[in-house]
Amino acid sequence: MTALRAADVAHFELLAGVVHTSEAALVEPDGGSAALPDRVVEDLLYLGCQGRLLEAVVREMSGSGQLGAAFADFAIDMRAMAIARAARSLADGRGDLCHPGLLSPGPALAFGATPLEFLRHVTARGTSPASARAGGLSWHDADRGLIGWGGPRGGTMTQVMAGAALAHRRRGEDRVALVFEERGALQGGGWHEGMNLSGALALALIVVVEDSFPPDPADATDLRAVAGVYGAGFVSVGAMALAELYRVAADARQRALGGDGPVIVELRPLPDEERWALHDGLAGAAVADGTISERRRVDTEAAATASVEHAAQRLGNEPGPSPEEALAPICAEAPPTRPWTRLDPPSPRAGPVEDLQAATR
Amino acid sequence: MTAAIPHQVARTRSGEPATFLEAISEALWEEMERDERVFLMGEDIGEYGGAFKVTRGFLARFGATRVVDTPISEGGFTGAAAGAAHMGLRPVVEMQFMDFVSPAYDVLTNYIATSRYRGAGPLPLVVRGPVGGGNRGGPFHSQNVEMAFFHTPGLKIVYPATARDAKGLLKSAIRDDDPVIFEEHKGLYRAPHCRELLPEEDYVVPIGEARTALEGDDLTVVTYGLMVHRSLEAAAALARDGARIEVIDLRTLLPLDEEAIAASVRKTGKLLIVHEDTRTGGIAGEIAMRVNERAFEWLDGPILRVTAIDSPVPFSGELEDYFLPSVEDVVTAARYLLDY
Repeated sequence: MTALRAADVAHFELLAGVVHTSEAALVEPDGGSAALPDRVVEDLLYLGCQGRLLEAVVREMSGSGQLGAAFADFAIDMRAMAIARAARSLADGRGDLCHPGLLSPGPALAFGATPLEFLRHVTARGTSPASARAGGLSWHDADRGLIGWGGPRGGTMTQVMAGAALAHRRRGEDRVALVFEERGALQGGGWHEGMNLSGALALALIVVVEDSFPPDPADATDLRAVAGVYGAGFVSVGAMALAELYRVAADARQRALGGDGPVIVELRPLPDEERWALHDGLAGAAVADGTISERRRVDTEAAATASVEHAAQRLGNEPGPSPEEALAPICAEAPPTRPWTRLDPPSPRAGPVEDLQAATR
Repeated sequence: MTAAIPHQVARTRSGEPATFLEAISEALWEEMERDERVFLMGEDIGEYGGAFKVTRGFLARFGATRVVDTPISEGGFTGAAAGAAHMGLRPVVEMQFMDFVSPAYDVLTNYIATSRYRGAGPLPLVVRGPVGGGNRGGPFHSQNVEMAFFHTPGLKIVYPATARDAKGLLKSAIRDDDPVIFEEHKGLYRAPHCRELLPEEDYVVPIGEARTALEGDDLTVVTYGLMVHRSLEAAAALARDGARIEVIDLRTLLPLDEEAIAASVRKTGKLLIVHEDTRTGGIAGEIAMRVNERAFEWLDGPILRVTAIDSPVPFSGELEDYFLPSVEDVVTAARYLLDY
C-alpha cells in the first residue's frame, strides 16, 4: 500500500483525535481485501493457518501432559498477527521492534519466528532459542526485531519498549516499538509508568492491549480514558475485518512515527470461533474479489499446515538441555562447571576435591 | 557555540585536585564525550543538574536527547534504560538517592539481570546514585542497597572509596557489557580528605579487583566505601601501639575478589570485616563463608564483624551516631582479635 486511501485518512484523523468519544466512532469492517497488496493477504492467510493449527497442537500437548494445564486454553489471536504484520519487519535488525506478549506467539510468527522455534521454546528443549533456561511464550531475537519477555509483572515490557523507542529517536530511525500487553498489566503501576514516560516524551510506541479471557471483575480500567490521560491515540477493536484492522494498525504506525506519541490499540475479547472466523472471512473475500486465486489459497494453507506438522513431528526428536552448556553464560565471568564449596586448598583429611567428586560419581 | 565546561568536570584538566563528586562528574562527562552511545536518565538531572549537582552543565553540552529528565518513576525509566540498551545505547541511570531504587527492583532483578540468561544478550547499563548515612537523612535517604542486589546473578556491584577509584570504576562500569549497580557514599562526595589529583590520561579501574589500602601483617580488615576511611583511622590508632593492620578495600562487591581476601588472611591469620550496611544478611556473612572455604587452616582466631545495627537508619543525630559503625568500634574489635 503506497498511498493513503480515504478510509485510511479517516482512521488517521480518528487516531489523531486522541480518543474515541463514542462506540459509533469505532471503525467498522468493510469486509473486503482488495485494498491490501496480494503479498499481505497471502501472508495473513499463511499466518492464520499456522496460528490456528499451532493453537490446536499446544492444546493437545497440554491435554496429553506434555505441557502444563495452563496451556489448555492457549489461544492465538488472528488480530494480533494482523497488527504485527502491519509493522515493518526486516531481517537485518533495522525494522520495527515487537514484544509479542504473553497471550500468544502470533506476533512473533508475523516477525519471522517459526512454529518449530516456538515449540522448542515452550517445551524447554535444548535447541530452544534460550537454551531452555527460560520459558514463557516469547524470546529475544534482535535481528528479527523480537524482544522477549522477562519478569513476573505485566507492564514491564511497555517500559522496556518505551526505552527502545527512545533509542530509535536518538538515532533518527523511523522505527516503531510494538508491544503486546495482557490487560491485567493495566492494574499494575509498571505499565502506567511506561505509558507516562512514552506520553511525556511522545515516543513512537504502539501498545496493543489483549484480553482473551472473560472480563475481570476487579478491572475498573477505562482504557479509553487512560489513553487520554497519557496523550495517546486510541482505537478499540472487536470483530473487525482483518484488512480493515491491518489499515488501522498501519495508520497507528504512521501516527506514532509522525511524533504524535504513543497509540493504544484495545483488542476486545472474542471467542475462538469468532477470532478464526476473521481469518476465514479474509480468505473468502480474497478469493471472491480476485486478490488471490483459489489455487493460491489452497497452496498457502497447505504450506502453513506443513510447517506446523513438521515442527510437531521434529520436536519429538529434540534433545533436552545440557546444564554445563546452558548455564555457563549467566554472567560473562561465570564458570562453566558446577560450583563446589571447597576447591582450594584440598582438605588435609579427605584429600583433593577431585577424589571426592570421583568417589561420588 | 560550545557550551562552557562546568567547573566540577574541569578539575583534572585544570591540574587541580578533584573531590569524590567531581571525579564522578568527570567520568560521566568524559565517557559521554568519548562515546555518543552513552546517555543519562534520571530525575532532575537536566535543567536542575541533579540533586547533588553531579550533572550540572551537562544539558547545555549534550542536549536533551542525551540528558533525559524523567518522570518520578524509577521502575519506568530503569525499564526504559533496558530497552535503550537493547538497541545498542549505553544508558547511565541516576537514582536521586539509592533508597529510591526499590521501585526498580523488579525490572533490575527479573529483567535486566536475567538478560544474558534468557538469551537476550548483554545489557550494558549503569544504575548509580548516592548511598549511606551520617547526613541525618533518616531512613529513606541514607540506606546502603548493595545486599538487596548481591544475591542476584547477572548483576555487578561497585562501591568505591576514593576519588581516583570512583572515576576509574565508573568508566569501567559504563564500558562494561553487563549491568552495574554503582554506589556512591554521599559522605565522601565533598569530603576534603577525598580530594586528590587524578591522572590526566584516560584511565579505568578494573571491576572485580580489590585494593590494598594499607599493608600490614597482624590483622586483615576487609571493608569498602566510607568504612575504608574509618578503618584506616582505626589502623592509625592501633599502629601507635605497634599493631600492623592490613586494610583491604573491596571496591567491587560483585563479583567479589575473594582471592585478594584469602591471600591477606593467609598472611595475617586474622580477619575483621567492617561495613556500614546492617548486620543480618550483610556481606560480612558471605565473606566469612568464603574465607572458611578458602583459608580456614590459616585462621588464628574467630572472624569478627563491625556493622550498623539491625535497624532502619535513624533520623536523630544521636541515634544515627549510635547506629553507624565508629572508629572506636573498629579499634575495639581489632584489639580483641590482636589479643586472641
